Amino acid sequence: MPQLAKPLPPEDRLVLLPKNPGLFFIFWQFSESRADAFRTASFSPEIELRVRYAEDKTAAAAHKAQWLAGRAYLPVPERGGNCEAALYALRNGVWERLLESNQAAAPAAAGMADERACASLEFHKKVLS
Amino acid sequence: MSSRGSLMFVLHAHLPYVNHPEDSAFLEENWFFEAVVETYVPIISVLERLASEGIRPGVAVSISPTLGAMLENEALEDKLVLYVESRLELIEKELERAQDDPALLKTVKFYQKLYEDAAALMHKYSGDLITPLKALQYAGQIEIITTSATHAVLPLLARPEAVRAQLAAAAEDYEERFNRKPSGFWLPECAYEPRLNSYIKLSGFNYIFTESHSLDSAEPQAPGGVYSPYRTSNGLGLFARDAASSREVWSAKFGYPGDPAYREFYRDLGYDGDYEYVRPYLGSDGIRRPLGLKYYRITGPGADLSAKEYYDPEAALLRVEAHASDFLAKRMKQTDDFYASRGSRPLIVSCYDAELFGHWWFEGPAFLEAVIRKIRAERLPLQFILPSEYLNSCQEPPEITPGSSSWGENGYFDPWVNETNDFIYPAVYAATDKMIETANRFRNQDLSMLNSRALNQAARETLLAQSSDWAFLLYIGSHAEYAKGRLEAHAANAIKLLGEVIEKKVDEQALAALEQQNSVFPRLDFRVFASVSKF
Repeated sequence: MPQLAKPLPPEDRLVLLPKNPGLFFIFWQFSESRADAFRTASFSPEIELRVRYAEDKTAAAAHKAQWLAGRAYLPVPERGGNCEAALYALRNGVWERLLESNQAAAPAAAGMADERACASLEFHKKVLS
Repeated sequence: MSSRGSLMFVLHAHLPYVNHPEDSAFLEENWFFEAVVETYVPIISVLERLASEGIRPGVAVSISPTLGAMLENEALEDKLVLYVESRLELIEKELERAQDDPALLKTVKFYQKLYEDAAALMHKYSGDLITPLKALQYAGQIEIITTSATHAVLPLLARPEAVRAQLAAAAEDYEERFNRKPSGFWLPECAYEPRLNSYIKLSGFNYIFTESHSLDSAEPQAPGGVYSPYRTSNGLGLFARDAASSREVWSAKFGYPGDPAYREFYRDLGYDGDYEYVRPYLGSDGIRRPLGLKYYRITGPGADLSAKEYYDPEAALLRVEAHASDFLAKRMKQTDDFYASRGSRPLIVSCYDAELFGHWWFEGPAFLEAVIRKIRAERLPLQFILPSEYLNSCQEPPEITPGSSSWGENGYFDPWVNETNDFIYPAVYAATDKMIETANRFRNQDLSMLNSRALNQAARETLLAQSSDWAFLLYIGSHAEYAKGRLEAHAANAIKLLGEVIEKKVDEQALAALEQQNSVFPRLDFRVFASVSKF
């Protein structure tokens, strides 16, 4: 899996981005103190990414991930639309909310796949190869 | 004859900002040189020729701010002159080599004219190709629009400040370059989501273009389909791309560019020629690369590269004429069908990457010219119309909110967010967040010249880190190391500069080097990134 060549400054960040009607992309980073808490097993290594609908704040889904993974693809919940996520970590048997994301809008599925354009891909594959 | 429908052609010209003054022959700068010779010069020539004959082209041209900056960069202009001269030198040798091969000689002479024309046009405008475009717009022949500052895919910028900065920098850049406020905004990669409407409108733009399937999930339903303009609730005009007319041109498989008579893109003297013979024209690394002299035609579907036959420019032009006629016949049928069923005149919006015309589809500029000429010569009941003209003359368009979409593969944001490139986003957001935070901190402070310069350069670096091109190159696996390096460098530069300002120890020498290399948006004010922008 490709990585950045140099580490980034340690900061708390949780970002949710739209990918397609079926998937969100989410990535997270931690400040030094929080990363230390994971390293020293203060927090369990498994985190939980909880997705909720932005409009009424109702819970939509929860997904487990490893804190070191740093990124994941999450299925868009059933109702689609605007969603937001929060990252929870387990300490002493209690889930603590560590990070909250921005809102992201899942695209609505539209049209037939072969009707949708892939204009730039076709061109750039040729031009830049 | 009165018009039965309108055609709107939009050519979106964009290249990532590539400027390496430290290297006399930097590989990726060739993208720019090739695009100038094969696309920008031929298109400008077509537009000027038509205008001089009293045939108004009526085409909208989107010039990305990064491309605009490269077209005005004197160091790149100097390198471009050397590039063209070196090709003409090689062509002289090729004329000698092809003496006993009439079919090849004809094509070499054709290239000689192409490069001589490029040299002549650049000489005419002292190397600045923005000048003829400005003149064409001033004369009402074309309409020039812009796109986000560094071609960022805006739905992937979660921070409103980042979206506003991309828009504000683009609007300011356009005004400086074209001496008027921009009206149209090209969404990079046609990537749209509804939250953008207010930012785009507040940045002073009047209309945008979206992909056709953005209307499938529009609220309420789009009554005229892609054949009608719309407006958003805040009065932003909206044109949807017509997929049918686009596909005929875009698709190598089903479209015109795949015709057997057209020039084959992949066979190039840079790969075919004797190594020692072509070596002086390759880069300093000596690696074989395209030299722009491509002597073969597509020949047939699936034909092996080694089995390609010689290109014949005259035979190709005959196919151009046939394809232009076919294109217009299909548009006539579209307009007739729409009129028969709806009783109103449709608008057909055809949007293309400009570099398709000439660079990849070598005959593309000739096709464009043939289409425009045929409408006049054959008195076809179609008219080319500019976006602003259409919006100014049409009735109040219906109000809709289109759905999120793009013109990329699968129609959403997959090409820019996937396993090959998602690792870049932490760097993009680290730079962006730090830039916003620092802009907020210093926005109302009296700053030394040095600190202002550092903050403004950090803003440039942040914008460059947000470019869609790095994610795309990583996705297609082409120049991936370069893309990764550029992305990381811009993010690191921004973070470093911002840190230096906060710690009051700006390295002036390093700053000056960055200002020279990444010299886009010379008058950019870092406050475009502030949370409540003064812009």
